[in-house]
Order: sequence, then structure tokens, then C-alpha cells
Amino acid sequence: MTAHEDLFTEIKAGYPKLEKDRAQVEPYLTLKVLAKDVAAFFAFLKDTLGFDYLDMVTAVDWKGPVNRLGYITEPNPNPFLPDGATPQVQQAPAAPNVAYRESFEVVYLASALSRGRKVMVKAEVPRNSPNLPSLAGLYKTADWQEREVYDLLGVTFDGHPNLKKILTPDFIQGHPLRKDYVHQKDRYDD
Amino acid sequence: MTTNPAPAPAATAAPEMKTDQMFINMGPQHPSTHGVLRMGLTVEGEKIVRAEPDVGYLHRGSEKLSEVRGYHHCVVLTDRWDYISSMMNNLVFCMAAERLMKIEVPERADDLRTVMCEFNRIASHLLFFGTYGIDIGAFTPFLYAFREREMVLDLFEMVCGARMTFNYIRLGGVMKDLPDPWCGKAKEFLEHFKPRLKEYDDLLSFNPIFLDRTQTVGKVPKDQAVNWGLSGPNLRASGVGYDVRKFAPYASYRKADFEVVVGKDGSCWDRYYCRVREMAQSVRIIEQILDQLKPGPVQGRGVAKVPKPPPGEAYAHIESSRGDLGIYLVSDGGFSPYRMHVRAPSFINLALLQESLVGLKVADVIAVLGSIDIVLGEVDR
Amino acid sequence: MSETNRENVKNSGEDSQGSAQAPVPGVAKPSIPAAAHAKPAAAAARPAAKPAAPAEVLPEPRLNNGRGRLLGSARLWPTEVWPNPWARPSFVRGAYWLAGIVAGVLLLGWSVGEISVWANLAYDWAMNLLRLRQVPELWAQGAWSAVKVVVVFHLVALAPLFLVWWERKISAHMQSRLGPMYVGGFHGWAQTIADGIKLMLKEDVSPRAADAWIHLLAPIVAAAPAVLAFAPVYFGSGLTAADIDIGVLYIFAVSGMTVIGIVMAGWGSGNKFSLLGGLRAGAQLVSYELPRTFSVIPVILLVGSLNLTAINDFQSGYWLGFIPRWFIFYPVMGQIAFVIFLIASVAETNRIPFDIPEAESELVAGFHTEYSGMKFSLFFFAEYAYVFLSSALVATFFLGGGNAPLPFLRIWPSWLWFFAKTGLIAFCFLWFRWTFPRFRVDRLMDFNWKFLLPWSFANIAFGAVYLFL
Repeated sequence: MTAHEDLFTEIKAGYPKLEKDRAQVEPYLTLKVLAKDVAAFFAFLKDTLGFDYLDMVTAVDWKGPVNRLGYITEPNPNPFLPDGATPQVQQAPAAPNVAYRESFEVVYLASALSRGRKVMVKAEVPRNSPNLPSLAGLYKTADWQEREVYDLLGVTFDGHPNLKKILTPDFIQGHPLRKDYVHQKDRYDD
Repeated sequence: MTTNPAPAPAATAAPEMKTDQMFINMGPQHPSTHGVLRMGLTVEGEKIVRAEPDVGYLHRGSEKLSEVRGYHHCVVLTDRWDYISSMMNNLVFCMAAERLMKIEVPERADDLRTVMCEFNRIASHLLFFGTYGIDIGAFTPFLYAFREREMVLDLFEMVCGARMTFNYIRLGGVMKDLPDPWCGKAKEFLEHFKPRLKEYDDLLSFNPIFLDRTQTVGKVPKDQAVNWGLSGPNLRASGVGYDVRKFAPYASYRKADFEVVVGKDGSCWDRYYCRVREMAQSVRIIEQILDQLKPGPVQGRGVAKVPKPPPGEAYAHIESSRGDLGIYLVSDGGFSPYRMHVRAPSFINLALLQESLVGLKVADVIAVLGSIDIVLGEVDR
Repeated sequence: MSETNRENVKNSGEDSQGSAQAPVPGVAKPSIPAAAHAKPAAAAARPAAKPAAPAEVLPEPRLNNGRGRLLGSARLWPTEVWPNPWARPSFVRGAYWLAGIVAGVLLLGWSVGEISVWANLAYDWAMNLLRLRQVPELWAQGAWSAVKVVVVFHLVALAPLFLVWWERKISAHMQSRLGPMYVGGFHGWAQTIADGIKLMLKEDVSPRAADAWIHLLAPIVAAAPAVLAFAPVYFGSGLTAADIDIGVLYIFAVSGMTVIGIVMAGWGSGNKFSLLGGLRAGAQLVSYELPRTFSVIPVILLVGSLNLTAINDFQSGYWLGFIPRWFIFYPVMGQIAFVIFLIASVAETNRIPFDIPEAESELVAGFHTEYSGMKFSLFFFAEYAYVFLSSALVATFFLGGGNAPLPFLRIWPSWLWFFAKTGLIAFCFLWFRWTFPRFRVDRLMDFNWKFLLPWSFANIAFGAVYLFL
């Protein structure tokens, strides 16, 4: 933990408005920055502290656990019930100690390869307007990873040169990794 | 997946000669896109003006699937990402989940995991060696590589019954201990394999035509490689000695003495030869680990039948045969991961193509694409 | 409970494996019978249904001194099994077969002798017969020409069949596999015939985007010159279908026409990969025509004739009584010309390392991507016919055609020597294909224009020196 503290004080010295995240990602120091400051913070990390390698960009939807049955394709899975009966699908019970909220958490992992350090950075964006600045100008690797996050979770990265779907087919409506995603029937069903 | 992009605006051409650009759809059914990758190439004659890799044809949504499956079941999902090196996928998921659940893995299980991963690296790099030869037009190395790969798969079959999707590394340890004659067989294979590496060099590595085709194309300078987030042999070929086995040793890699293979200028040949030399290092690691293998349990204590790790987040990453394979796991205390994200090295390495292909010839597309060594199962997950 | 169950499962598994594997005579299983592995508890778990197995000695698979065979797997590990190739019965058997085949061919050649003698007998007999029947001379000669055409055509048609089979066997053995082994009995000799029949039976698909007529005509335009070009080829003393004085020129002129068919195929297929392949083929074939032709010019200079029989006869005889006067043995000039001609011939036949027009991994299959069935096999046929033609030309130009390499070997007839040399060069063609990677298209052109062509020009000068000696 002392290594984490050292790294934290070092980063904090150059970038004061910074705090540790409540949920630390297991082996790494996890920081929390404001969504609008992400680009500035990473520019600082990269230029000043040598975090020149962006490992990962992803996001978590904190709306609550997904239904146990997985993709909701049919609100009433019991074929013996008449049409219009009460939907059988129940939302999975939410765990008591988890702070579910209407927001996405965008998670970055950056490394300073020369110094052997990795740091997790989290930025929270509201679900109804999930926008934050893109890192594609800083790290080219952010290009596709942000496209993936956009495709699967619908987080929009402002300033991304080519923000369009990457993994899911064109006809898929919505963003599948959102917890409230409902699958629309398409030509490949049945 | 996207629709065909409109051809790029015509580049500057000599006014008296009107040339048209041609859009070529390379893939998703093409012999050397290594699966269902589609490349939208805009070419002028044989020269590439614009390249756009298009992925997603193999997307199975395993991140979504994992949100409704128990942790034990997720191990099965992992096999299907990078089906060429399934052991490593098993391992990285188990490491992340063990970090969440705070499970200690017994020493012998760690040793077995290391041995299996290194064997899998050999098998994976052999597949690369063979298919890269085919990409460049040399068919024969492929069958030589498969001769040895078959033996590795036989070893895997002995230990877990499967030849492709192993599901051997489980939460808390491994599926079961080695059968009795396995270590002898493994050593026998290694003895057989060491001289084969020389044979591969004679066959392909230093063939003048092969050098001519690969040494000059697809160069990725050091800073670009880091900026593109390349990992594995692709990054090391550019001269960055980033190897997770040394950077953050996991399993039993601390016990083994090995070198990180580093290339010079990140050309296709460097990427190729890094892999070939890595096989020798894998042999070294396996030999060392097998020599100091001690009897003991192979399953850790405290792995529940239906694990429900406490709420928390964990990230684990390993050096897979494609690169730095990472898993970001979020648990909310439920029986399945709240969120799982795969840092898929193939996916991230593949993004490089859109820049590095421009200006090359159509034939070089294959040389560069092959040298990046992607597995579409991992690109699309 | 679970422990005993596991034991049961394990034991039954071993039993089934033991009985499924083929017994190997001569190696008895050491003392312990299969059922004795079971613990007493396991035996008690399944009591009366299966009484304790009698202590029969099951044969165990031969483990090759503990090496080579995996437990539970019937597969052999390759290469670990035999200490050296001669310890392997199949290897020895194959060597005997090869020696037998060679001996048989030599015996056949010795007993048949020169075919031209028999052909002259047949010619005289047929001409006498026709003359007795009052057939006009022109018709008689025409009939004889037709016979020659039929014979040469069949030779040209059958050579690819044999070459394909041979290529498959050679490539297989270079790649540590066996190749065709079933069709026909002996090493799958009839595999190509079966494939040919299959190709003929296949549906002839032509894509909607294709230019129908060009798509249809292309394989014909590509394959017809391959047959025509054989007319003046020298197969042995007196064995030439049309012994014309401009034979070399005729062969190069006619075989150069194939490129039109290939470009047509690339253009007419309506496929971008095919188009690229066709364009590449056009560029490549036209370029490599030049060094190929220029490399032969010294030979023609020295012989003073374009007639293949004259070229062959020029190379008869021996220096110092034992060095054959073949062109390949002319210092400097002969070797350069030979190498350039061989390389350019490989390029002309679109084979690896010069197979960029049909580069499988880049252009799928290049100009013949969209061809199937018989149209495809016509391209295939043309390729192998040209391999045969090129080998025959190399043999005639540089390896002395039908001349025996040493004086005392002249007991074997010229056609046998000719076909032996042709086979040797054809083997080289196959060998290159399975050894080299593919050139890149621009390097290929560089190699031609910056290396082969200048050297072939220089070689004309070297050849000219010989004229003054």
C-alpha cells in the first residue's frame, strides 16, 4: 500500500483536485477524476509522469444487476400464460452494500512502462447524458477501445475522430452491455 | 461492423492520366485474414490508400454472457476468446476471480498453470509460424509446425482430455493433477522440440525471399508501438521490453529464469522472429518448472460451489501469446460477475492496421496482418 | 463414495482403452491383469453382476521402449518413433519400390530401343498399305500427320496428370506426410484421374457479374496454345511432330499467347481479385518473356539454327571423351543461360516463388478465382503443360536433349534420356514450389528488369565470344 500512497502523493502534487476512489480495483491505485477533466488529467499523466501506455478503456453501468435470464428477449417467457398476462421476468435482487446509481463509470488503466507503475482512473458520467472527452488524440489505442465502449455501452466520447459501432452489427438497436438492454427481435432470431 | 465506406477522395494524380481508386473487400471470407476479419482496402493499382479493418463478425457477447453466469461457468466462456491459447484465458480469468475472492492457490497448481501456459504459448506460436509461412507463400513450414503442435495438443489431451478448449485451469487451482507419465512425455517433447527450432530457422526465418518480404515492411517505431497500446511480441519487436511475466510476475514465473525477447525496429520479420525465439524461452521456463515440481494439492481451499465474492473490483493481466491479456472484474456480491471486461490484446493490436497499412502494397497487407497474429475469437469476443 | 466411483470410472476407462487398442504380437503385458488395479472396495461396489475377471494377460500396445506412444491415444508421436529412417520398414520398402521402378524403366528403355526405328517401320508399312490401296499421297501424309497429332496430344494431356500426382507425392514427402494413398492402389496413382473426372462432373458456375463470353473463352485461349506449342518439341531422335526450322521461335511465340487468356480471365470474371491477378499476370509474363528468350540466344548463335533437332544434335559428342558437349557445360555462358532460363521458366508458369498472379493468400486465387469445374481444370492443365514444356525445353537447350551423359550409357535410347532430364527439371520446378516463399510483385519486377535482363544481355556477349574461338 505504501507504493500506492507514494504514487498518489506524486500524482496529487501535480494535479491537486484528485481523490482516491472508494472502490479500489484490487492491485492498483484507483483514482477518481471528474468526467470533463479526463483529457487534461491524462495529458498531465502522460507528459509529466510518463504514463505513456494506455492499457484499457472500459465502462461499468451501475444501474443494477442484469436479469438472471440474461438477454431479455421476451418479457413473458412462459408459453402457457395467455397473452397480456403479467410479465414473469423479475429483476434480480440488488445487493445491499453496492451503490447502484444512474451512472456509468468509465474506467481507464494507464501504465508507465519505464517506471513499472500502473494506475486505474475512473470517471463517472450520468446515464442520461454520457459524454466525456476522448483520449484518442493522446493515445492512439483509445481509438478502438472508445469505439467499443461507445458500441457496447453508449458512452459518447467527444472529439473522437471516428466514433461509430465496431463490434455489434448495424441492425442491433441499443447498447447491449447496458443493464437495461432489451433485445429487439431481428432476422437472426428463431 | 459498418457498411462500406465511400472511397476516399481521389488522391493527387497526374493530370494527363486519370486513375480510379478501387475499393477491395478483403474478407470476411478470405484465406489469409485468419478468420472473419474484413478489411476495406482502397487501392490505387496495388498501392493502399486507405485501410479500414472491420471486426465484429465473430462477436458472441461473452462479456454480456458472463453477467448471468456463475464464476465457474465463466471459465468456460474464456476458452472461446483466444481459442488458440485457451489455457491463458482460463488463467487470467481465474486470477482475477481469485483476487476478488481472496483465494490462495497452492504452489503445485501455480506450477502446473505456468507449465500449461508455456506449452500453450509454444502451440500458439507454432500455429503463427505455420500460418505466417503460408501468408508469405511458403507452404511447407506449416506442416512442420503442425507436426510439433500436434504433440503439444496430445500432451494437453493427456492432461485434460481436450485439444482445443481446455477449461483446465479452474478457480483456486487446476482441474486435476498430472497423469503419471506426463512429465516424462513433456520432457521428451522438449528434447524433440529444441532441435526443431533450428530447423524452423533453416526453413523459413532466414530465407532471402522471406527476409525481403518481411524485413522492410510494417515497421512500427518504439513510441508508436507504445502509443498504439501494442503488447506481446508486437510491442517487444519494436524494442520495448514489456513482458508481464517480468513486469508483474504471476503464477510461478518468479521461479523461472528466462529472457524477454526484444526485437530491433518492429518490422514484420522482427515480430515473427520474436515469436520464434520466445518458443525457446518457453522451453526454458517449462524445463525449469518441471525440474522443481513438488507434489502437493492442486486445488486451493475455500472455493465455493457457487462463489459469491464480496463486492469489489479486480484487474488481473498476464502475458498471453498475443500480448497483455487483462480481465477487469466487478462483483456486486452476486453469484455472477457484475461486469467483466476483457482487455483483448488482439483487438488492440489490430487497430494498428488502419495506420500502418497505408502506402503499402496489397501483398504487404497479408505480411503485416499475419505478423500481428490476431485471433478473431479474441478480437470480437 | 465419490472416491470409489472415481476409481470405478478410471478402471473401466482403462479397460476399454486396453481392449480397444490393437494387440501387438510379441509384446506381452507384464504380469498385472487389468482388473487387478481395482481396489477391493471398488470390486465390492459391483458385486455379482460381474465376477472378478480371470487373470488373463491382455496384450498391451507396444510402447516403443517407453517412447513414442501416448497413454490413451492411438496416435504415434512423429519422428520420435524411429532412430533413423532406415530402421523404418516403410522407408526401406519405398526405397525398394523406387529402385524397382527405375530398374523397370531402364529395362523397358533398353528392350524397346529407339522409338523412331519402330515408328519408321510403322510409317513404311502404313505408306505401303495406302499406296497399294491407291490412296493419294497427300491424303496419306495427312493421315500420318493426324496420327502424330493424336500421339503428341495424348502425351501433352497425360503429362499433367502424371505431374500433378507427382507434385502431390513430392510435396507430401517434403512436408512429412503421405499424400494420396488410396485411389488406384499404389500410392494413389489414380488420384488425379479421379480428380479430373470430378472436375468434369462439376457444375459450371459463371458469376453474374462476369462478362460471359470472355469468361467462357479465357480458359480455351489459355489452354490451346499449351497444346499447340508442343508441335516442334524434340522428344528423342526422330520423335518430333513437326520438325520445323523455326521451332524455337514458334514455341516462344505460341506459348506467349497464354497470357491473353489469363488477362481475359482476370478481366472477364467480374471480380476485383481476379482483375488484380490478371493484371499481375500480364505484367509478369510479358516481362519474363524477355530474359527467357534472350537467355537462349547464345545457344542459337552457336548452333546456327532454330530447329530443336539441330540444337539437340549439336550437343552430341564428348570433350576429352567423357565430358558431354551440352550447353550447360560451356563455361560461364552455359551456366548463366541455364539459370536465367530456368528462373524465367518458373516465372512463366506462374509457380511459387513467382506465383503472384494467383497468390492464394493475397488474391484468393487470382485470375481463376471465379472458375470451377472443367474451365478451372483447363487453367490447371495449361499450367502443368507449361511445366512439362519448360522442362523439355531446358532439357533440349542445355542438358543435351536425348544425348546420354556418358559414352557407355548410349545403350539406352534417346527418348529415355530426354524424359529423364525433363523429369529432373520438372522435379526442380516442384521442389522450388514447396520450398520458397512468394516474391512481392514489385520485387519480382525489379528482379526481372534489373537483374535477369541485364545478365541475359551480357550473356549474349559471352556466347558471341565462343563464336570467335
